[in-house]
Amino acid sequence: MRFSNQRLAIAALTFSLALGSVTGAAGQAPPRYFAITGAQIVTGTGETIDGGTIIVRDGIIEEVRADIAVPAGAWEIDATGLLAYPGLIDAMSTLGMPSELRAARTGGGRQRGGGGPGGGGGPDAAERSWGPEDRPATFTWLNAADELDPDDSRLATWRQAGFTTAISSPSLGLFPGQAAVIDLAGERPNDMVIATPVALPVTFTKGRQFPGYPNSSMGVIAYVKQLFLDAQYYDAAWSVYAGSPSGRERPEYDKALEPMRAVVREDWPVLLPGDLAKEVRRAMRIAREVGVQPIVYGAREAYAPGLAEELASTGVPVLVNLDWPAKDSDADPEADESLATLRHRHRAPTAPAVLAEAGATFAFYSGSDKPGDTLAGARKAIQAGLDPDDALRAFTLGAAEIFGVDDRIGSIQPGKIANIILTDGDLFADGTRVHTTIVDGHRFAFDDEMTADAEPTEDAETPAAAAPAFELVPMAPALGPARHDDVTVIRNATVMTASDAGTMENASILVRDGKIAAIGTDVDAPDGAHVIDAAGRYVTPGIIDAHSHIAAESINEGSVSVSSMVGIEDVIDPYDIAIYRGLAGGVTTANVLHGSANPIGGKNAVIKLRWGQDADSLLLQGAPPGIKFALGENTKRARTPQRYPNSRMGVKDVIRQAFLEAQAYQAEGRRYEQALADGVEGVIPPRRDLKLEALAEILEGQRLVHSHSYRADEILQLLRAAEEFGFRIATFQHVLEGYRVADEIAEHGAGASTFSDWWAYKVEAYEAIPHNASLMTDRGVRVSINSDSGEEMRHLNQEAAKSMKWGGMGREAALAMVTINPAIQLGIDDWVGSVEVGKDADLVLWANDPLSVYGRVDATMIDGILWFDREHDAAVQAERDEEKKKLMELEAADDSDKQPRRRPTRDSATDQEAGR
Amino acid sequence: MKRLAIFVVSLAVIVSVGAVAPAAAQEDVVVLQGGMIHTLVEGAEVIEDGVVVIQDGRIAAVGGSDTAIPAGAQVVDVSGQHLYPGFFDSVTRLGLTEIGAVAVTSDFSELGDNNPHLEAASAVHPASEIIPVTRANGTTHAVAAPQGNGISGQGSLIHLDGWTVEEMFVENVYMVVRWPNLQTRGFDRATFTVFNRSFAEAKEEYETSVADLEKLLEDARRYATSDVRDDPTQRNFKLEALAPVLNGDQPLLVAVNSERGIRDVIAFAERNDVKVVIAGGREAWRIADEVAASGVPVILGATQSLPSREDDPYDAPYAAPGKLHAAGVKFAISTFNASAARTLPYEAATAVPYGLPAEEALKAITRYPAEIMGVAADLGTVEAGKIANLFVADGDPLDIATQVTHVVIQGRLIDPYDNKHDNSYQKYKARPRR
Repeated sequence: MRFSNQRLAIAALTFSLALGSVTGAAGQAPPRYFAITGAQIVTGTGETIDGGTIIVRDGIIEEVRADIAVPAGAWEIDATGLLAYPGLIDAMSTLGMPSELRAARTGGGRQRGGGGPGGGGGPDAAERSWGPEDRPATFTWLNAADELDPDDSRLATWRQAGFTTAISSPSLGLFPGQAAVIDLAGERPNDMVIATPVALPVTFTKGRQFPGYPNSSMGVIAYVKQLFLDAQYYDAAWSVYAGSPSGRERPEYDKALEPMRAVVREDWPVLLPGDLAKEVRRAMRIAREVGVQPIVYGAREAYAPGLAEELASTGVPVLVNLDWPAKDSDADPEADESLATLRHRHRAPTAPAVLAEAGATFAFYSGSDKPGDTLAGARKAIQAGLDPDDALRAFTLGAAEIFGVDDRIGSIQPGKIANIILTDGDLFADGTRVHTTIVDGHRFAFDDEMTADAEPTEDAETPAAAAPAFELVPMAPALGPARHDDVTVIRNATVMTASDAGTMENASILVRDGKIAAIGTDVDAPDGAHVIDAAGRYVTPGIIDAHSHIAAESINEGSVSVSSMVGIEDVIDPYDIAIYRGLAGGVTTANVLHGSANPIGGKNAVIKLRWGQDADSLLLQGAPPGIKFALGENTKRARTPQRYPNSRMGVKDVIRQAFLEAQAYQAEGRRYEQALADGVEGVIPPRRDLKLEALAEILEGQRLVHSHSYRADEILQLLRAAEEFGFRIATFQHVLEGYRVADEIAEHGAGASTFSDWWAYKVEAYEAIPHNASLMTDRGVRVSINSDSGEEMRHLNQEAAKSMKWGGMGREAALAMVTINPAIQLGIDDWVGSVEVGKDADLVLWANDPLSVYGRVDATMIDGILWFDREHDAAVQAERDEEKKKLMELEAADDSDKQPRRRPTRDSATDQEAGR
Repeated sequence: MKRLAIFVVSLAVIVSVGAVAPAAAQEDVVVLQGGMIHTLVEGAEVIEDGVVVIQDGRIAAVGGSDTAIPAGAQVVDVSGQHLYPGFFDSVTRLGLTEIGAVAVTSDFSELGDNNPHLEAASAVHPASEIIPVTRANGTTHAVAAPQGNGISGQGSLIHLDGWTVEEMFVENVYMVVRWPNLQTRGFDRATFTVFNRSFAEAKEEYETSVADLEKLLEDARRYATSDVRDDPTQRNFKLEALAPVLNGDQPLLVAVNSERGIRDVIAFAERNDVKVVIAGGREAWRIADEVAASGVPVILGATQSLPSREDDPYDAPYAAPGKLHAAGVKFAISTFNASAARTLPYEAATAVPYGLPAEEALKAITRYPAEIMGVAADLGTVEAGKIANLFVADGDPLDIATQVTHVVIQGRLIDPYDNKHDNSYQKYKARPRR
């Protein structure tokens, strides 16, 4: 496989000739005119040429054919016995980026105690951001092509692993800078650039260097959206101005937005993070909302049901991270890792095959500091069902197409850039080594090292055969939903309707197509209906939790006093186990709220507990939007750095100031409408401000305010502030001293949503009494009992019953506090909250009296679907335990398999560079 | 410093306004007549139309309607109602904290890893508003327990009524130990940082902590056999305080939840020949048979809690007491709380629809804790000779809507409705309508 001495001599001669005639330069630069002969050429377009010749001149592939002679004057590389492939493309990387522009790697890595930001370092702590206008962690003006460092030692490591090209960009911050397509070799940075800019990468991890807003995942998403909206406005404003500047006020120049004008015009795409299925869908949703062309990166859960098809049908390309999730090497051997975690580790390598099968567009990226592992990752994907041709494509032409450079790179074809690798075997076979990497016609040979390491190990002899066959462990059924029938009849139940009908004995409920079709003692079961005999059992409406924080990946955007720009909808985690546990407590609907860190918090999401559906499918369609407000201790608590407000005086002030601003925003909108009506030319819609938009909706009565509150005085103050600005508070949440101002709350028309008996956990909760709900109800306030807790929500029936003890509330009234009352408070009582014909079939079947401590949920139905069933749960739990056991055994076997396979390979160089 | 002082003073004022007075001492003989008496004595039937005679703070007689009523006794008619031994909350912060978020109102945790000589009773605030609120639901006695690191101190059994702690105090029933955690990842509250370390590192730290604990016991053993006690220059409160543990008078109450931790605690007890009680025990149900075989009792924390592992059955904490019962583990149920301590009966009852017999739920908050803590001669059942801590309710005392009508502590009749909450309720109920 090595060059013969004779050929080397000839080559040397050719070399000197070339030097003399072409460049005349002194030194060791190899000639850029050569022929690769004898290789099996995998062109990357589906064609393979056995023993063909590739002629390369001045960095360009001139010819690729079988049986052509080596032209005179060309260097010959005898590649007999080798395979030639198009150079691999790392579809997302920071290669060539100086360390100060790279985010510290955290994914999967272990950060030892107090190590600081580590990794790439980065600039000193930036100034604290107080809002989107501070453009936190934003570097859109940076262009990877301008920042290249050809001395980045990783370039050599990647080349040795077979990569010739990368899509590269800084990675520090939320908008780290523009991505470029670069070749992984060049004396000067400018030699390396193939195309720029090709995409605008976005990350959702800000980095600790950037304190302040945004400091939550929903804040990050809100900021990302706002920046795109700002760019749209900026583009429009400058376009109008450029058209006729005279007599027009000049728009403000913005360094961050200027380069984004091309992005919002969809000239180049946006790279959005999306590793898990929910994140991929979230990325697509954001792109849709702000109207940009997305490429989603991560995608390791693309095997999730339906996702690949969604990607294929929307045409959104994905970049798959080949750094598959793996068990921590020094994990606690007794640690009980969840089935979801084990499953993901097991199934992630099937993602590319699933994407290919669905016809989605995808490419690969390394995702780690060890490019050798990247090929191993591809190998795993192939074992898990990916066609090797598709794997090669994802490394070459596929990537080139996604970034619009397939006319230059990605295959071995005449006219393309001479990015070629020679390997000693099938690219994806275990043990195959890269012999030579040619970048832009520059040859990097690794044959010396191969000689040094020539002693073939046992498994190198039998490459692919040694790979264990991938055995896909079948998924146990989900815990819920248990069953789905078009028609269900629940018979002989004691039905507590939470409606005027009160409690009905020996009643039956007919459920058809997700709705309650009939209730009564003479309801017949149609043929084929699923019949549940509920003799001796109770049925109530599904429980509605008016205050919850389940199923949300972040709760507080507490960096600012007004965070109405953020929304829970952006961060719903539909797989949160708390959803299922809530179902098992009879909860069918929850008002998922922002936290109480600031006087005006974020937007809510009213969800049905359709556990395991995608995030958007959890939303209760038609529910009026809401928002969280907060008063008292949590909002004024000491913070570093200090944040206004620091007192209840300031809390009220923040709220009033915000609505003044919102009124100004409304006025701006009205002026625009007027200008349009007047036919004024060149007017553009006002800048959309996500923060003020939400507040304007409150003023317009379109968004419900749910305000966290404790003390009677602060409750009163908010009532008065709202009245001043002409809106109504929908509910006071917690409202533990509501009993002291119940008349005032009732008069204003606000609802109250309280805890049953929590108290004394802080000063403002010290005057709480468990009679609060009863007393407020007596005074005409509509009261609900909420959980604010993934635990408490599992027995809201008990919490409601406590008002029967404290204050002597009746049974029907107590049940209403967790069913119809919260439904009315949330404006969703047209669909849910009571057992009435025409409403959604959200029902709970109880083994005992739900208003006793012995009430146990046997089944919970949402939209007629049995989403929780106690018997099903027990049966499925066993199957899931079985699957988990199997997965753990497989991993253990895989681990013991790996040990003897470790040997010095091409990764060793990488290991050294990584400083291990 | 000055501001702090003012703050403390003002808090004291808050706390004292409208405070509830302890009951008058029992002077007469008190007789509760006509109720259904649930003595909870093994094998005993419910006594219909029963009589309980209370004298000098103790139960003098329990029986049917023919029981002799001493002349001059104060007779309380509880016809149609149910009489039970007072609930016993085994691990609480009652008297040791007032307002959770206000650190200066809390006295349950001391600095250091080695405080066996600290007694909860020395910090119990008898005028805590939480105490009357708690007994309104039938809890008549509870252990105020220190909850620091390592050996946190001794838990003090107190009656939930008294002018001073001396009137409330029964005895120090256990020595609290917080079992070390073997954690590779977690949040360090001391430094407010997330830590993430290797298993080997975590294991080493864990083993060192356990070894330190064993060494302390060893030191205490040596100390007990020496005569340095009489020498103030060598006397050591810490080692001295461990003597009751070493001679078996006082169990170690070991706060531990994980399966591994529970196993290790059982082995630790055998190795060091000490009595232990597992406190918390969230994962004890996973190894119920092992726990049963060891004979180590468990004081379970709140049943109304979340499963400890993502893949646990949703009802794992609800079903745990039933599983321990089936396996033959001796256990009690406790709140581990202060302001939420009144929910003790619901914590027990929640286990009933998930497999625990109702009678066992009741015993888990009355008789069993008395037995586990070695005070069954005085507390836990309605029997002649025992301390008169009991209550009367208009129905099943485990169920929510049931009203407690009478509370008796050390023979004193307590008005359950004289507490901060009911008083506030009455006040604002009377607010003139606007």
